[in-house]
Amino acid sequence: MPGASVVEQLAEARIELDRAGELLTAPSPEALNRCCSVLEATGRRLAEWQPRLAEQAGNADALAEAWRLRRSFQRTERLLQNAGDFHNNWVRLRGAMTGGYTSAGAAAPVLHGPRISLHG
Amino acid sequence: MSNLLASLISTADTLQAYGRVLEATQNNVSNASTPGYAKQRVDLYALPFDSQGGTTGGVRAGTLVSARNEYAEQAVRTQTTGLGYQQQLTNSLTVLQSNFDISGNQGIPQALNNLLQSFSAWGASPANQAARLTVLQRADAFAQASNQTSNAVSAASHDSEQQIRQTVNQVNQLVGEMQGYNRLVLQGNTNDPGLSARTHAALEELSSLADVQATFQSDGTVSLMLNGQSPLLLDDKQYPVTATLYQPQEPPPTNPLGPPVMKLQASDGSDIATTGGQLGALLKLRNEVMPSLIGDGYQMGALNLMAMQFADRVNQLLTAGNISNGPPAESGVPIFTYDAENPTAIAASLKADATVTPDQLAAIQLGPPDVANGVPLALSALAVPVQAADEINGVSYSQFYGQIAGRVGGLLNDAKNNKDVQQSLVSQAKDLRQQYQGVSLDEEATILMQFQRAYQANAKFLGVIDQLTQITIDILKT
Repeated sequence: MPGASVVEQLAEARIELDRAGELLTAPSPEALNRCCSVLEATGRRLAEWQPRLAEQAGNADALAEAWRLRRSFQRTERLLQNAGDFHNNWVRLRGAMTGGYTSAGAAAPVLHGPRISLHG
Repeated sequence: MSNLLASLISTADTLQAYGRVLEATQNNVSNASTPGYAKQRVDLYALPFDSQGGTTGGVRAGTLVSARNEYAEQAVRTQTTGLGYQQQLTNSLTVLQSNFDISGNQGIPQALNNLLQSFSAWGASPANQAARLTVLQRADAFAQASNQTSNAVSAASHDSEQQIRQTVNQVNQLVGEMQGYNRLVLQGNTNDPGLSARTHAALEELSSLADVQATFQSDGTVSLMLNGQSPLLLDDKQYPVTATLYQPQEPPPTNPLGPPVMKLQASDGSDIATTGGQLGALLKLRNEVMPSLIGDGYQMGALNLMAMQFADRVNQLLTAGNISNGPPAESGVPIFTYDAENPTAIAASLKADATVTPDQLAAIQLGPPDVANGVPLALSALAVPVQAADEINGVSYSQFYGQIAGRVGGLLNDAKNNKDVQQSLVSQAKDLRQQYQGVSLDEEATILMQFQRAYQANAKFLGVIDQLTQITIDILKT
């Protein structure tokens, strides 16, 4: 694997992670599903390169790109965490508002009756 | 008879509930283009019907939807506070960093490099008057570069004081506006959508300035707390905040003449801690970042430490040497002076003594044996120190300066990265707020289940990428 291509491949992975991050700024269930596919592809790609990365140890350009990739990952992770917290906290609040608190002091779970969802 | 009465009550309650639905729809149409207006929705709940038990059935309007709307509004405000903080840090640190050149082409690093080179040139020809004059000129240039950098940081510190005062005024002004809105609510305007829109717009503006928590009371008024601890607004009473400079007395300051710190005070005189929004960033810069460079009551600051140790070491080497061995022997004189009374003003007051002439520079290092160019050689060794006395905090002066500049640059870099992330988080919070507008609680339940599954799947892949990116860096680093 030539040095230049490592940098390019890491940059491609970063662009994919940035795309996942963009999807998470509007986190509808559909966007999250698309994000999942993007993350799966990125993870697979990184895992495939891993065995050959040792040849590039000490490559300063590749390391700089790897740090950019890491920052992009941290941004995506933060966005997913925040969207997840938003919904989880609301579920807890809604549970407490409608069902009060359990004997253990936790918010009551939000109970959803059985339902059929049809998708056309 | 009792059943008839119960039915009438039930019908009246139901009509009232439907009335609220119609009212909400009417408000939505009227305020379709009002800035800050959130679409209102009234969900209806079936009440239990049991003629024997006396429960009359019917419907009632729900409060869950308005609670969810407020929850989403609060989420936007929380992220806006974070963005305000990172934006302010980025702006202020950009100005500060412009004073810390690391290319070596200007400012302290250039002046230091030039001075060290002039010591080396003087060592090559210790009797050369031109080389001696260059040493004095470059010592003066180094002192001036220290003065300029220190004064620029002081000016940035004063600017941040002004900005803190202006931001506090803006906070008080916005809280004053909201006090007016609360008064209108207390006069009976409880269902005015325009008023609600103005309240939320003011809250969003306020949240960029400081970490303000808003709580909507049952009477329709909004209560505001700064950093969750100090009241800004309760009912129709405002509690203004002031920004003041003060020198702490406990523990007693080691530098009583050092710059005071800035603090926020509540109207009762108690101190207020604030850590978020533009105000939080400005206070961090004014009370933590700037003092680490130019000092305060308890620290002398890195620029002063560097100026003092460098000047002292140069003076020490010069005064330990001889200008001539005589007879009578003539000792060397110091070239740097500074205000020793105030450790936080050393970099700003550093001067090359204008009364020292080139022939007063001591070149002879006393032995035995005496070395004719020993002093300039010892001075030029400050560039690449081989003994602890020539170092500052275990590194050379150039490296120490690099650490100062690197710290400012690192803070700016972090602030820029965090600002980008925070901008995305604000967009996300606004999108989530938008997503729930007009969604019934029943629809919401389905969406929440979809979200839960999607989060789990995404989190699983992110966990894998976390490990892979970390391993990638570890491999490339070796």
